Amino acid sequence: MKVSNRELLDRLSAEYVLGTLRGNARRHFERWLVSPQVREMVNSWEQRLAGLEPSLQKITPPARVWQGIEGRLELGRARRSTVRWLAIAASVLLAVFAIFTLRPPSPVLVATQRATIEADPQTIYWRVELLGNNQELSVKVLATHPLESGKAHELWILPVQGNPVSLGLLPVSGTQRLVLSAGQRAALAGARQLAVSVEPTGGSPTGLPTGPVIHVAPLSPA
Amino acid sequence: MLVSPCIRIDTGHVGFTMERNDPLPPEIELAQLLQRCAARDPVAFRALYDRTSPILFARLLRMLRRRSVAEEALQEVYVRIWERAAQYEVHRGRALAWLVTIARYCAIDLMRRERLTLVGDDALAEVADENAAEPGAFEKPNHFDDCIGQLSQTTQHCLTLAFVEGRSHDEIARLTSNPLGSVKSWIRRGLISLKECLSAERQTA
Repeated sequence: MKVSNRELLDRLSAEYVLGTLRGNARRHFERWLVSPQVREMVNSWEQRLAGLEPSLQKITPPARVWQGIEGRLELGRARRSTVRWLAIAASVLLAVFAIFTLRPPSPVLVATQRATIEADPQTIYWRVELLGNNQELSVKVLATHPLESGKAHELWILPVQGNPVSLGLLPVSGTQRLVLSAGQRAALAGARQLAVSVEPTGGSPTGLPTGPVIHVAPLSPA
Repeated sequence: MLVSPCIRIDTGHVGFTMERNDPLPPEIELAQLLQRCAARDPVAFRALYDRTSPILFARLLRMLRRRSVAEEALQEVYVRIWERAAQYEVHRGRALAWLVTIARYCAIDLMRRERLTLVGDDALAEVADENAAEPGAFEKPNHFDDCIGQLSQTTQHCLTLAFVEGRSHDEIARLTSNPLGSVKSWIRRGLISLKECLSAERQTA
């Protein structure tokens, strides 16, 4: 990611942590938090300003607070639902695998947007293309990205509003095509950036990036 | 990344005050509980709640003033903690600071949603007068007191109102009867001076 104005981002990070960055500016800034550089700035400010943290006497909250949390998270069913969730995840993975590997080449769709995920212009790892106004995604491996064993690279849309939306795991070789879901197309509308995070094999267990975000790449018209 | 020697020294050396003051839970224990939460262990989540909710509730009350709002915020905070436990990076330490930060950001979000504006001092009455100091509760960066002491009293007051009470620029201007522009620039310059001082002290240390 090219940070055009480090000083400005550092100032925004400071006011974000202090709490004086409010409203739309705050929400807009939160979208930058997927960038490792910005997250590092925010982390540093969190450490600096921790010195302002007051010493307070503990106050025990009423029992209804816990009951509310338990109800919202359905914790009683957490264990069983974990198993069910794993089963769902496994079938989704199978489906994704099937789409990636078994799908015959689609009719020619024209690339409408592009992003290159690179260390520098000489080292491009993946070329990502959105085809036919976000109907399909095509990812081509140009150089192998280093990766620890037991890990995978996951591609994310950074939507105009809200959380990152997964575009699935990035291939380690060749070219992959994926038909985009309605949810993915909605997230791409107006989106200007894609991101890559390091996740456990099989992808993020939470549906949001859990590992470090190692690349943020701008989407540009093809 | 700095670890948190301060907290460990406090709980280690002043053992006799531990019972009296009901100490903060050890960082290492919180970090382990968070890891188990990331693995979706509801027992660990409950233990984490029991150990930390009185701290976070006090912190939220300080910002949100009203008990009903602070209770709602506390629910939201623990829902976020459960959902984001996997994002806690164990190697960074500072588990309690991580939790408090989630609570602060949540309170700020809630203020916006509820359009909570400056409430009169009467609302402070809802916060029981039990804000006695609990020394050594949070790790301060080295030389923090020296560096913050170099700022003007007014700037220190503005920073405290923002960070501790969650006040916006507008509210700080009204509370301190100062022009908004001055408040913004004191805060901005205060933050820059603080950063410069802390990094200079670190280099000379």
